[in-house]
Amino acid sequence: MRLFIDFVPVLVWALLAIALVAIMLLASWVLRPHILQNSDKTSSYECGEEPVGTAAVAFPYSYFLYTVLFVIVDVMGAFLWLLSVSPLRISEVIVWQTFVFVVLIVLGIAFALHMLPQTLLDGKETLRLYRESKAAREQHDSGVQV
Amino acid sequence: MIPLSWYLVVAFVMIGLGAYGMVTKRNLIRILIGAEIMGNGVNIALVAFSLYNPVFSFTGQGLIILVISVTAAHTALALVLMLMYQTRYSTVDLGEPVTVEARKSD
Amino acid sequence: MLMQEFEALFEEVEFVVIAVVVLLLAYLALEHREIVYSVFFFGFMAASVAGFYLLLEAPFIAGMQIAVYTGGISALIIFGVLLLPRAQGSSLEVLQTPRMRRIGMILSATVMTLSAVLALVFPWSQSFPADRPPIAQDLAGLAAWLWGEHGIYVQLVALMMLTAVIGSVAILKMEKTEKLSPLKDRPGLGSRGKENEGASETKAHDEEHQDAKEAGTQ
Repeated sequence: MRLFIDFVPVLVWALLAIALVAIMLLASWVLRPHILQNSDKTSSYECGEEPVGTAAVAFPYSYFLYTVLFVIVDVMGAFLWLLSVSPLRISEVIVWQTFVFVVLIVLGIAFALHMLPQTLLDGKETLRLYRESKAAREQHDSGVQV
Repeated sequence: MIPLSWYLVVAFVMIGLGAYGMVTKRNLIRILIGAEIMGNGVNIALVAFSLYNPVFSFTGQGLIILVISVTAAHTALALVLMLMYQTRYSTVDLGEPVTVEARKSD
Repeated sequence: MLMQEFEALFEEVEFVVIAVVVLLLAYLALEHREIVYSVFFFGFMAASVAGFYLLLEAPFIAGMQIAVYTGGISALIIFGVLLLPRAQGSSLEVLQTPRMRRIGMILSATVMTLSAVLALVFPWSQSFPADRPPIAQDLAGLAAWLWGEHGIYVQLVALMMLTAVIGSVAILKMEKTEKLSPLKDRPGLGSRGKENEGASETKAHDEEHQDAKEAGTQ
C-alpha cells in the first residue's frame, strides 16, 4: 500500500476545510449590509478614543525570545516523536542519549528564562533614558531658538 | 511510479525562484523567505534521491531531519540579527545606504 | 490491474497538483506586496511541500516539515514582521534601478540553468541500480539510523539549539546595553544626522550629573 493512498482521507479533510472557509467568507459577504466605507469604519479600533498613529507599532524585542524557545521545543518534540515510535527506546544506551539530549535543551531554556529579565529595560533604566532624551531634546530646542 | 526527473524539475525551479527572490529584493525578511524556498527545493531533491537509490535509503531522510533542525536554529539567529540591524541603522532596507565610518572612531 | 493503473494515474495527478500549488505559493510569497501576506503564503507553501514527502514515502519528514516549517519557522518570521515595523512599508517593494533588476534576473537564471543541467543532463538513472528498491516507510528503521547508529548527530542538534538560544539572549542583551550607553555619533539611533554632534558631549556631561545625583540620594 502506497503512503499517499493511505492519506486520501487527509486530502479530503483538507479540501473540506478549504471549502468551509471559502463558504463562510462568501456567506458573510452575501449576508452583510454593504454600507459605505468611511474613515471611521477603516480606522483602527480604539474604544471611544481618537486613534493615534497606525496600528503597526514596535514591540519590545524580548518577546522574540519566546518564539525561539517555542521552535526549540518543537524540534525536541520531533526528535522524541521519532524515538517514541521505535522499539529502540528500551536499550540502555538510548536512554542515556535521550537523557543528555533533553538535559542540554532544558539547560538552554533555563538559561533563556534566567536571562530574560536582563534583556528588558527595568523601571529605573527607562526613567534614565527618558530623562536623557528629554535633556537632549531641550538642548536641541534651545539651540534652534538661539 | 513517477520518474526521478519530475522531482528534480520541481527542485530546480524552486531553487531558481529562491535565488531570484534573494537577489532582486530589498526587504531583509523577503530575502530570508527566498533562502527558505531554496532550502525547501534542496530538501525535495535529497528526499527524492533517497527514495530512488537504495544506498541512500535512510541517509537521505536522516540528513533532511538534521537540515530542518539547523534551518530552525539559523532562522532564529537571522531574525535576531535583523532586529539588531534595525536598532543600529533604523531600516531593514538593503537598498538604503548606511554609513559605517562612525564605527571606526571607537 | 485496473487498480494499479488507477493508482499510477492518481499519483501523477497528485504530483502535478502539488507542484502547481507549491510553485504558485512560492511565487506569491516572493512577489505579494504585503509582507504579512507573503509570510502566510510561505507557511502554506511549506505545508504543501509535505505532500511531496508523502508521495516520496517519507511520513516522518512530512510530519517534521509541517511541525517545524509551518509551525515554527513561519511563526518566527511572522514574529519578526511584527517586531520590525519598518519591514511592512510598501515602499520597500519598489524595485531599484532596472539595471540592478536585470543583473538579478541574469544571476538567478544562471543558478537555475546550472541546477537544471545537474537535474536533467546528468545521467542519474545510470548511476542507480536498475531494479527498484523495496519501498520502505518504516519509522523504526529511520529511528535506528538516527538514534542508534548516529546518536552523536542528535547531541549535535541539541548543542546547536543551545547555541541558538544563547546567541539570541546575548544579542538581545547587547542591544539593551547599547541602548543604555550608546556609541558616540552612531547613525540611526534616535536622531539621525548632524543634530547629534553637539549633543553628545552635553549628553555625557548630563550622564555624569545624573549619576552624581543618584549617588547623592542613595
